Amino acid sequence: MKIKHSKPQIAEADMTPMIDMTFQLIAFFMIVTNFEQTQADERIKLPTDRLARPPLQARENEVVLNIGFERNADGTKKDPNAYVYYGGQPIPVLQYGPRLKREFEISKRMYGEEKARDITVVIRADSDTPTGLVQELIKMGQEAEFTKFALKAKSGTGEPGEE
Amino acid sequence: MKFRKHSDDGGGKVEVQMASMIDVVFQLLIFFMLTLKILAPEGDFNINMPLGAIGTPDPTQTPPMDLKVSLAANEDGSLNQVFFGGRGLGNDFPACFERLNFEIAQIAGSGQATGEDIEVEIKPDYNLHYRYIVRAISACRGRMEGKKMITYIEKIKFAPIERPAG
Repeated sequence: MKIKHSKPQIAEADMTPMIDMTFQLIAFFMIVTNFEQTQADERIKLPTDRLARPPLQARENEVVLNIGFERNADGTKKDPNAYVYYGGQPIPVLQYGPRLKREFEISKRMYGEEKARDITVVIRADSDTPTGLVQELIKMGQEAEFTKFALKAKSGTGEPGEE
Repeated sequence: MKFRKHSDDGGGKVEVQMASMIDVVFQLLIFFMLTLKILAPEGDFNINMPLGAIGTPDPTQTPPMDLKVSLAANEDGSLNQVFFGGRGLGNDFPACFERLNFEIAQIAGSGQATGEDIEVEIKPDYNLHYRYIVRAISACRGRMEGKKMITYIEKIKFAPIERPAG
């Protein structure tokens, strides 16, 4: 008797639509991911305002300072004192001066004195931060020889309770 | 002449190994999914603060028209009163800032001075919450008309710090 040898048949799934979809998803996430706001600390609850619009042209260099409070999961303050978050580490606001001086020195070495003076110090403060502390931080920045300062707010209608 | 067939698997179909590429693509997808942070867009307001010593004014330059806005705070940091040039505008947040915006609009639109010549000095109490300062700066800066921003005043500065006694 003659036995016929047939090649084993492998069922091959068509992967093309799956790869298409995956590439579309990657493209979507790449566009949506915002790498520019990596310096923003999530613990800060910024106030909202109608006029706060993202600048049309992004700044070349900036120093971002996050001022906020240690909060519980429900948003209540653990500690009434405000801190500047430096790499996630809380530092009392009034002790931040030496770090700003160091920041200016590093910028001066990297970009030169003139460009270092043009760097904007962007302050992202929690809605409940005492304004006096924001002013103290600006004063410390001026002592460290920075000249430009900006205060951040979230875009929104600015209605109470929106934050 | 005799031609020999090089392959005997019919058609000579070259199959590319897709498994490794799919692995990398999935890794990339997971990376972007995990790093995605949904954040509301943010904007900023430029602000100035005079240094301690005040220099002699340059006689060749016209001094800017100075408007003073004071913000008094309660003990808990909430708004007690908004003053515009010594006149109280109330403490009913946010309506008091709309009144301030209206006052500023009248000055900016009166033709007494252009937006570049006017400077607003904001003097807040030390413990006043930051949210009120943002609203005061916004009220002085301008207003939104649809999606367009109408600018009243560009130059806004803080008054020197007044630390609470004790």
